Amino acid sequence: MSDAPRPPVLVSAALILLFGIIVFPIAWMVLTAFKQPRDVYSLTFVFAPTLENFITVFQPPWNIGRRIVNSLLIAGGTLAIAIPAAILAAYSFSRFQFMFKRSLFFLVLATQFVPAVVVILPFYLMFRDLGLLDTRIGLIIVNLAIVTPFAIWMLKGFFDAVPVECDEAALIDGASRLDIIRMVIVPMAMPGIIVASVFCFILTWNEFIFALILARDNAVTLQVGLVNFRTERGDLWELMAAAGVFITVPAFIAALSIQKHFEAGLTGGAVK
Amino acid sequence: MQAPDRFLRYGLIAPALVLVIGTTLWPVVSAVTTSLRDWRLKRSSLPQKWVGFDNYLVAFEEPEFWNAVKVTTTFVILDVLLTVCLALAVALLLRRAGVLQSLVRAVIILPFAVSPALIGVSFRFMLNGEHGVLARGFAATFPWLSDVVWLATPGYAMAALIASDVWHWFPYLTLMFLGGLAAIPKETEEAAELDGANGLQMIFLVILPQIRSIIAVGAILKTIFALKMFDQVATLTGGGPGITTQTLAHYTYAVGFVHYDMGLASALAVILTAILVTIGIFYIRLVLPQREHSAP
Repeated sequence: MSDAPRPPVLVSAALILLFGIIVFPIAWMVLTAFKQPRDVYSLTFVFAPTLENFITVFQPPWNIGRRIVNSLLIAGGTLAIAIPAAILAAYSFSRFQFMFKRSLFFLVLATQFVPAVVVILPFYLMFRDLGLLDTRIGLIIVNLAIVTPFAIWMLKGFFDAVPVECDEAALIDGASRLDIIRMVIVPMAMPGIIVASVFCFILTWNEFIFALILARDNAVTLQVGLVNFRTERGDLWELMAAAGVFITVPAFIAALSIQKHFEAGLTGGAVK
Repeated sequence: MQAPDRFLRYGLIAPALVLVIGTTLWPVVSAVTTSLRDWRLKRSSLPQKWVGFDNYLVAFEEPEFWNAVKVTTTFVILDVLLTVCLALAVALLLRRAGVLQSLVRAVIILPFAVSPALIGVSFRFMLNGEHGVLARGFAATFPWLSDVVWLATPGYAMAALIASDVWHWFPYLTLMFLGGLAAIPKETEEAAELDGANGLQMIFLVILPQIRSIIAVGAILKTIFALKMFDQVATLTGGGPGITTQTLAHYTYAVGFVHYDMGLASALAVILTAILVTIGIFYIRLVLPQREHSAP
């Protein structure tokens, strides 16, 4: 396309600068993860790379392996509860008319705007009494707060796009509504369900404040594990960077796998 | 519809509704009741007497509260303004096809996938006075910045906080605006070109007005998340230097989980929720009719 009225050189320069702004902080973290401590402080791009940091973070006292497991189990557990519940609710919101439908949908959407500090106060007090502090179950419960409303909103959009005629044809064949959800809607809206699930995975995987307050030791996630690299000896940047790589890789894979659908999700509502 | 459907429609919603009410609505109600009591965990593990609106009055008389209001307002205004403007500029740049455009489009989603906590840590590393690559780079490029210790200087710490959040969020808004730009009919631009509009006129008088509702949606959404923002304050500035970057969310956290004053923290949380939900409802009203309209 040559119809750009602006000088292409300026545009090209802006695009290259933009690429740098996007990539540099990530690249610098990755580079740092491969550096020995003395290279971290020398700001060099040329250095003898080492895998030592990636090994160190798995050893005590960092034990990042346990944190990866915690993060995965918490994200997995949250999705396993939220997505099925959201599929059922989204189907009902998409297909039926009923009393208070608009108000209920409004309520679901409005809960997305409740800040995490509010959610955490009562749950902290309740978990203290129930012995759920520092447990993965506790963290799954609070993570449902950020994921469920969002999943319902997104999934409703995807279900709306499945023609009602499909439901009607199955109804004539004698299928029940639950059959329709299982055998018509879920297969037809599968790409949408995957997109919503991946979105929700990123939300819970990157979640920080809940785990910061509710986890002490057993249930500490990767995100909160980052804080531990701030020691009395100062910040251990190369270890933070190595942990950062473990945090970032799954989120990048997730984000890139649904990039095409990202814009569809954007109109679907609020993220994190 | 058959009779069973009448119950089914509620039955299908029930599990999700239980989750939503249990994990967000109940905490809000609980925070409201706790905000009316004296409950300092350091003195007693059980809630003490009802004190009416005392916690709110304490908050309003606390200079730290007003500091947090000021910090939050500054942060939100600058953060939203910069994110929206940058996202618009980038969306306009990426609209056309080209090699460089494809290159940027391929990576643009990445900052949004990096966790905010990690972004805070990364920026703290890069802005470190002695061995931070950005701090040293800026110092070498702009001599007047050579003496600045970024995270120990109030205005600069705020700038760092805003920069970290703009970096995280502008890709999301860019993609949103690109979606809006793609929907503009080509004819409007062609007509403006025939009328002799120049580049700037084209952007400000022809293109942007056509996506103003999407810009509004993006700006409100960003406002909500800027108000909620907590992670980078915790991992980048810690609210400092002093309390110059302590936002309302972080102040509430500190009162609740550093000073363990549950009553006051709940009052602060309720104030923050009231602000957010008000803006949130405004946002939903803006978004919902369009979506309902597009439903089959």
